[in-house]
Amino acid sequence: MESKCTNQGCDLDHGYLCGTMEALNVPMADTPVVTFWEGEIVDTKNYTFFTGKWGATVTGLGIMSRVEDDIKHWTKFPSFPPLLSQVEADGGKSLDLSNYPYVFMRWKEQYFVNVGTDCGLTIAGFYYVCFSCSDGSINGFYYDPNSSPFQKLELKSTNDGRSGFSFSTYELQ
Amino acid sequence: MPTSANSNHPSRPEDLIGRLNSAHTPYEAKLKALRDLKNQIIGNRTKKLVFLKLGAVPSVVSILSSAAAPQDGGGGNREFHESVLIQSAAAIGSFACGLDEGVKAVLDAGAFPLLMSLISHLNEKVVDAGARSLKLIYQSKLAPKYDFLQVKNMEFLLSLLNSKNEKVTSLGASIITHSCQTAAEQQALSGAGVIKRLVCLLGGSINQKDASLESLAAMVKGNPEVASKFMGPENGRALGVVIELMKDKYPRTRLLASMCLISIRNTSTSYLQDLGIKSALVLVLLELLDDPGQVGDEAPFVLSGLVTEKEDMQKIAFDANVINKFCEHLTAGSFQTKRLQGIFLALSDLCSKLECCRDRLLDLQVLNIVTEALAHDSAEVRAAACIFFKNVSRSVKNLSAGQFMNEAIAVPLVQLLCDSRTSVQYLSSLFWIFRYGYAIEHYNAVTIYLAVGISRLMKNEVAALGAISNVVVNFMARKSVFMECGGVKQLVQLTKSMESAIRVNAVWALKNLVFHLSNRCKEEILLELTSTTLVSLINDPEASVQEQALGLIRNLVDGTLNSIDCVFGEDGELLHAIGRKMRRSTSKVEVQIQGMYALSNVASGNELHKEAVMNQLLPQAVDDKETLLVKFLQSSDSRLRTATLWAIINLTYPSSPNTCHRVNKLWNAGIVSQLKNMVNDPCLDVKLRAWTAVGQLMMYGDAST
Repeated sequence: MESKCTNQGCDLDHGYLCGTMEALNVPMADTPVVTFWEGEIVDTKNYTFFTGKWGATVTGLGIMSRVEDDIKHWTKFPSFPPLLSQVEADGGKSLDLSNYPYVFMRWKEQYFVNVGTDCGLTIAGFYYVCFSCSDGSINGFYYDPNSSPFQKLELKSTNDGRSGFSFSTYELQ
Repeated sequence: MPTSANSNHPSRPEDLIGRLNSAHTPYEAKLKALRDLKNQIIGNRTKKLVFLKLGAVPSVVSILSSAAAPQDGGGGNREFHESVLIQSAAAIGSFACGLDEGVKAVLDAGAFPLLMSLISHLNEKVVDAGARSLKLIYQSKLAPKYDFLQVKNMEFLLSLLNSKNEKVTSLGASIITHSCQTAAEQQALSGAGVIKRLVCLLGGSINQKDASLESLAAMVKGNPEVASKFMGPENGRALGVVIELMKDKYPRTRLLASMCLISIRNTSTSYLQDLGIKSALVLVLLELLDDPGQVGDEAPFVLSGLVTEKEDMQKIAFDANVINKFCEHLTAGSFQTKRLQGIFLALSDLCSKLECCRDRLLDLQVLNIVTEALAHDSAEVRAAACIFFKNVSRSVKNLSAGQFMNEAIAVPLVQLLCDSRTSVQYLSSLFWIFRYGYAIEHYNAVTIYLAVGISRLMKNEVAALGAISNVVVNFMARKSVFMECGGVKQLVQLTKSMESAIRVNAVWALKNLVFHLSNRCKEEILLELTSTTLVSLINDPEASVQEQALGLIRNLVDGTLNSIDCVFGEDGELLHAIGRKMRRSTSKVEVQIQGMYALSNVASGNELHKEAVMNQLLPQAVDDKETLLVKFLQSSDSRLRTATLWAIINLTYPSSPNTCHRVNKLWNAGIVSQLKNMVNDPCLDVKLRAWTAVGQLMMYGDAST
């Protein structure tokens, strides 16, 4: 299934970002299905690689997953293995990722923007996500104990028909 | 028929004034008239205004002046004169109590020096009356500023503080609260040993405690040295005493003790940082909110002072359910204006940084109450409601949900702009008429009032613009709601304001509105704004306006390809203006960053667009001076280096027909060697973009060899 993802908000100080995801060609829906998602950036100060906090298994995203699930999913990203040993030791708390050319995140879709919950899609789970700083590509794996495991998300940055990259800006007062 | 002297009905104001002014009125009757007047106006604002209009104050002051003059004879005569002093001083104090018009009338009539002369009177009751009235005057901003730096003034102040008379010591403390503003004044007072005396007064009567707490807060505010002296051993357990006063049985004392501690806390991070005291302050202020009087009105303002700009305090307040309590008050019923303003400002501060606070606020569904307040009679409440919206709409999650972009909010916000603009223009016109059209003796007072009025209106305008800047970011497709309310027309007009604060906020709001906006709406905005205005904004005298204008253009040219042509049209005047701004060496880095992103966005277009940008960045006549591109690539600001790299990436985008030609130019201008130096830049973003740019340039090889 084809998807379009837009990042709309970003608060690096709190390790937060958000945006919308638009699922195209959804079998049971007449129109593209848009969801709003929020993300936790694994920056080792606000959030670690362990989805649960301080031994608990529930995040601010309201999701439960075990440490074993975390490691299993992160390991599926080729950019993760260099970090594995430190992550196994302490969730990666002592890692400095500020110069690492990949950003690891968890994304959780919070609600459907334009359709009802009977559209045939589920947003019960969340995504383990890896963003490549060099080419802007995004890869992810969906986690939901009630869905088939390791469903993939593969996104590439688009140019909207332009010969190059264009950026808008907004600034909240 | 004359009213009997023993009648229980209050005399008509005109009759009273007549008796006070008449030279034929016997002294006893004048004294009775004074008492009568005083009794009518105490606690009665309406009566005070009536008597003010009839000129009561000059009449009373004249009587005070006569009675204060050296008297012949003693005994009963002296006693009588002292009664006149007491009653006239009391009446003057009542006129000044809580009424700026009254304070002004009292000062204009010359009462101040007369009241001061009463402080040294032999009769304690006269001293009390004089001190009380002076204290009431000093509660107003209009009271004359006391110059602590004059030696004799400091001596007089110390004599007040050291007096055995409770009202006189309270007066001394009130003078400090009113007039101590600068660090020099704080140091002078501290150096004169005032802190020690004020600390002693903390153990005195209620009035002395309260007056002392307020003046200590004024003395330590923003002055770590004075704060440190207060905390020093020479003042014993002063801090402990103030902390204890947070539990005093009188609400006003608890409020003032909290204010004093907050003043110390905000002055220096060394003090009062433990969780216990932080939580205690929150809980005391929360409880004081229940006070139905002035203390409850002021409590939200004091809480604002505690939490503003402090995320940790906002979290503590959140955990203590402060937001819920404030919202309960809001939904409970209507309030005095001041309390409503205070609650809105406190809620604004509470949700300024934390999403959990904004979430809680929105869950409690008070938006409709705040929305109604956008049309409140009071300008202060309207401004506070705007600030509330500005802060609560920092929630990107709720902007995404389109929470704030609806007619209920957009219409009153746009109306505020319209009303403010009309009023500011009207007052500005009056200001200039008075400046040039009236005699100088009228000019000062009138123009000061007008200037204050304009300033207040501008603050409200800026508050409305701040709220609009945020709510228009709204990510859903309904930004057109704002446009349909006439918002664009108002914003465009405000970009031409004489005040830079208004211009910058108006352009900022337009920039945010245009973020990810549809082409159709962008075209409507351009029609209203025009290229000429955009050029003039790029060349605005204020760098902050230039920066916002270039950000606006950046957004206008983002999106689909045809948006570039819509903005730049055929003559390219706007593009030239941006290029000139970039080449100007005095431009600030923030201006350069936005300018480069605007050019970079254009450079992501077709061949014509790329060539046009190339001509701005590398003009034909290249001399051996350092080019703009190299200068920017070498900037110490990584954001400018990044923006410039994006422009180069777009100019050398592989799939474009004429890329080879542009690559040659860049090689010849020494850009490639500069880029190669950047592949190990300490900033990750710069490093990665430099790699991309080098990769693209190397695809075409070194054309010069």
